Amino acid sequence: MYCDEALDAVEAVAAGELAIEGRLAEHYAGCRDCAAALAQARRLEQLLHQRPVPHAPAQFTARTMARVRRARWRSEQVFDLGFNVAIAIVILALLVGAWALLNRTGLTSVSNDAVNLLAAATVAFAQRVAPALPLYLGATALVVTALGIWWWAERDVGI
Amino acid sequence: MDPAAVAAERTLVERCRSGDAGALQELVDQYKNLVFGLIARTVQDRAKAEDLAQEVFLRMHRGLPYFRGEARLSTWIYRIVANVCLQDHASPARTVSLDQWNEDTARPPIAPAAADRQFADFELRDRLEKAIARLPANYRLLVAAHYFEGVRYEDLAEALELPLGTVKVQLHRAKQQLRRLLETELK
Repeated sequence: MYCDEALDAVEAVAAGELAIEGRLAEHYAGCRDCAAALAQARRLEQLLHQRPVPHAPAQFTARTMARVRRARWRSEQVFDLGFNVAIAIVILALLVGAWALLNRTGLTSVSNDAVNLLAAATVAFAQRVAPALPLYLGATALVVTALGIWWWAERDVGI
Repeated sequence: MDPAAVAAERTLVERCRSGDAGALQELVDQYKNLVFGLIARTVQDRAKAEDLAQEVFLRMHRGLPYFRGEARLSTWIYRIVANVCLQDHASPARTVSLDQWNEDTARPPIAPAAADRQFADFELRDRLEKAIARLPANYRLLVAAHYFEGVRYEDLAEALELPLGTVKVQLHRAKQQLRRLLETELK
């Protein structure tokens, strides 16, 4: 038997998966290098068996459950957003369809007066609201800031 | 595994699948040491190990509706642990060649005769951990899992979807590399 073969078997012998018999036993008995390699492999095997087993930290379960809940909440948010977008698309499609139908049937000319009336009312409303615009902008900025803080607090910080 | 334990495992999985939060907590409690232990032995950074262990349970939570129970729960868990560990690209433990390791570690060997025996053992274990950290990720995982109480070659082969022989060969190669890395210390 050559040293290569004996060295290849060292790990299996040290792990107790291969018995030292016959030519293998003779080789280990007669070859100092291979015998030393076997002794090293046995020591390594012993050290690997003695490696400490790390235990999970005390709050691990609570932190994991919090992460699971957060992930679930986030996926629900995504689902809700998708649902809302789908609803908006359906409503838009219905409006466009209704508009197209009115156009085809010539009813739009009748409704022009209604549209003009609505436009005039909108302009009047805008003129009344204009002086208070800075107030509305300030309120909007506050809401956006609050939403930003909420998003920052809820973002994944990778516990 | 005895039939009562298998039945208890199935009941727990069914409760989790039906959305019972208490059951999920039980599952985490039951397997946290296995999952954390395996990962902590592989990545050797407790904070990162905890993050990855939580990721394992998150994936379990997402995957439970698709778990058909054909494999044992523990085998499924090993598979998720393996995927999470191997996909962890930001691992600080880089793989270096053995030549580079030898150049990097121009430290004097441990002299047990001069030092206290306990300290020598401690340092040897420390060097073993450092040597393990330098193994490729799949070898690290195999070494971590194989020497974990109760984990068999068959479980690892099934979890990693590898032939049994391949698992044995890879583990032997990992140990060969470790033996070469620790050649001086093991004398």
